[in-house]
Amino acid sequence: MTDSDLITDGRAAGADVPVLRLRGLQKRFGQLHALKGIDLEIRRGEVVGLIGENGAGKSTLLKILTGIQPADEGTFEVNGERARFRGPRDAVAAGIGVVHQEQSLLLHLSVAENIQMHAADAGDGVRLGLYRWGRINRRAQKVLDQVGSKLDPRWRVSDLTFVERQMVEIARAVAAGTDANATPLLVLDEPTSLLEPAELAALEKEIRQIARLGSVIFVSHRLDEILRVCDRVVVMRNGEVVADRSTDAVGEDELFELMIGRAAKAPEREVRAATGEPVLEVSGLTRRGAFHDVSFAARPGRVVALVGTSGSGREAVCRAAFGAEGYDSGELKVAGRRVESWTIPKAIAAGLGYVPSERRVEGMVGGMSAIDNLSLTRSGALIAPGKQKQQASEWFERLDVRPRGPKLELERFSGGNQQKVVLAKWLKDQGLKALLLDHPLRGLDPGAGDTVKREIRTACAAGIAVVLLPDTLEEALEMADEILVLRDGGITAVYDVAVDAPTTLDLLEKQL
Amino acid sequence: MANTDTLTGPPAATAPPPARVRSRPSRRRDRIEIAGLIGALVLMVIVFTIASPDRFPTLANLQTVLDQASVPLIIGVGATLVILLGSIDLSIEGVMGAAGMAFVLLIPNSRGGEDHFLLAILAALAMGLALGVTTGLVHTRLKVPTFIVTLGIWYVGLGVATLLFGTDSIPTITSNAITDWPQNTFLALPHSFLLAAVVIAVGVLITRYTRLGRFTYAIGDDESIARDNGVHVSRYKVAVFAVAGLCSAIAGILASMQLGAGQATVGIGNLFLTIPAVVIGGTSLGGGRGGIIRTALGVLLLVTLNNGLIVAGVSANIRSGVAGLVLIVAVVAASWANRGRLAVAK
Repeated sequence: MTDSDLITDGRAAGADVPVLRLRGLQKRFGQLHALKGIDLEIRRGEVVGLIGENGAGKSTLLKILTGIQPADEGTFEVNGERARFRGPRDAVAAGIGVVHQEQSLLLHLSVAENIQMHAADAGDGVRLGLYRWGRINRRAQKVLDQVGSKLDPRWRVSDLTFVERQMVEIARAVAAGTDANATPLLVLDEPTSLLEPAELAALEKEIRQIARLGSVIFVSHRLDEILRVCDRVVVMRNGEVVADRSTDAVGEDELFELMIGRAAKAPEREVRAATGEPVLEVSGLTRRGAFHDVSFAARPGRVVALVGTSGSGREAVCRAAFGAEGYDSGELKVAGRRVESWTIPKAIAAGLGYVPSERRVEGMVGGMSAIDNLSLTRSGALIAPGKQKQQASEWFERLDVRPRGPKLELERFSGGNQQKVVLAKWLKDQGLKALLLDHPLRGLDPGAGDTVKREIRTACAAGIAVVLLPDTLEEALEMADEILVLRDGGITAVYDVAVDAPTTLDLLEKQL
Repeated sequence: MANTDTLTGPPAATAPPPARVRSRPSRRRDRIEIAGLIGALVLMVIVFTIASPDRFPTLANLQTVLDQASVPLIIGVGATLVILLGSIDLSIEGVMGAAGMAFVLLIPNSRGGEDHFLLAILAALAMGLALGVTTGLVHTRLKVPTFIVTLGIWYVGLGVATLLFGTDSIPTITSNAITDWPQNTFLALPHSFLLAAVVIAVGVLITRYTRLGRFTYAIGDDESIARDNGVHVSRYKVAVFAVAGLCSAIAGILASMQLGAGQATVGIGNLFLTIPAVVIGGTSLGGGRGGIIRTALGVLLLVTLNNGLIVAGVSANIRSGVAGLVLIVAVVAASWANRGRLAVAK
């Protein structure tokens, strides 16, 4: 997929002054030296990829660029002018728009309001203190047209799908840049980490189009995507820029090595035979409007992957199996016994574990320490603090959770390390028989992703059954022994990887 | 929905989502909920009309209902704004007491006093404004939860009222023109209700057409996102509490007129009428969702319920039980859509 004509188009329009120039940017948080002198230049019309493991300092850098935090030392220039941001407003005024990793729209306001939080502030959308809705909506419509979206600006954001919301985020960032009457600089912080493959292609196209309006800093964990979309890629590690390469001159493996400082290991996989009585067996499971007649069996030591697009109902099936949501008909068997009125406590007592996709909301209690989070699923009324502490430090060591501070509140860890703790919460339980993993690698950097995958394999080797909802088809092919494809709530194909391994194309076809 | 349109292939093949033909679920839900409130009100009127055909549907009784509803309607405007922020205002009754007392002492009353009607109104409003701004500043500057700040301001208000009251006898209003004003009618509607209608109209204008209103929704929706969007969160919070203070002051003046005297406890009972009314109307206690019209309907529902039960001769104990039951049913109905077990309703 090349689209270089679009990119050169944008570049030709620019002058020599870089849109952004950073010199010796430093930032400390207590003892943590988050940024150790960053130098970076972004030219007009350029799409620059920014990669690095969680904790490499990307987020800190972005926070400084977008005015959320000040730098301790160093300078930066926007369009040749020395910038000093005291808050997000200043960054917007300078033409820097951001799409955050987690969506940052106000759900109960309209699309137009979200796009123009600042514009309405700036003046002509408001007269005598009163909003002029017609004008605000028309202006939002113009920006939406500009980014090629067909959304109605009067809609409330809570009514939109995930991808539509992402488009609103982008439109807002573009509006911020354009209103500042400068070359807009868009910062896209992992805008793709939550998207299904179908939605990805549309977004990648979008990004290349935006490069015609201004410059883009694109943060992603998906190296293939970086190589496709960007002109240049900047690699950060431990608060420093360790490489700055043209995407023509670098490959995925090399980027991976630069990023984590070691070579990527080709995943070893041994195909396991379908032996052993199923730990969890689902047959004919149906819920009106969500899924119908879904059957599969999770056997000890095997990984069953459910793949499908965002309307496929696979998440609902997974949650129903864990007792988090109900079902209308069909059968659920655990360890060979049929179960009725299945609930989460019953599921946990039967040895099931569930890692939800909405980690922050459902998977963890952010304000509690990592130790306490690890102990959430234990039974019994009494707590043995000594044992708890010892267990926590063992798991921190084993999963390489950084920093090694089990007493810190979990919300202060990075996403990858949070996920390791969430996983350890289940793994530490001796009685665990089956793990339901809903997008366990979502938003993780490759290093943390490797650790999580390794632990899934270790758990499998120890005889635990795994049901996996992977982010990508590649992940399914890499991890699974059996792959089920769902479309519109029904199973369209079942592959036993040992017997007939499907290709990515096979899986794609069955999803659509 | 774009998800199922296409998957890979050249990006150019991605079909545009047919967004414009989709209806707007949230607007539709709003309309249904408001229609539900109006329906419940109509149903209640019909039931009480059947239960006490001679006494409930009379003009005099309906005027009484509107007159009784006026004070909570006015408070409801401020309370809704505060709850939309995701905060709570417990100081209502205290502020009413202080403002009402300031008003009564500056107009002709049984302790003497001269006729400073305009000054009296301004002094009462200034009292409400000052207490509201204080609440806002303590909350935003000292980072004290509004639950605690407003609980404190409640007692400060009562204290100020008691201080103004002094040790003398109760100051009763001597001007009949003033004490009769609320229940006198214009086009068959009591003045008190008309005043409430004006305050509600201003409130609706604020919530729909001003930055203060829109940013109140934004802050209640997600404070940190609003801040990252460049909204001056603290400034707008102080402004909302100032508006709430003003509403309480207006309610305090009106309640003192209705009572015909200055009393620190003039606002008693209003807090526990208004907050349930806001919730029954469907404004989320978590902030960000709801509106003033909804609260007004909630107030009318509760006041009508109470009046209808009194007229039908139901005892006070049963009345409060029924009111509580209505509240619980309304809250369950409002959150019915979000009752998924793992979905966190916030």
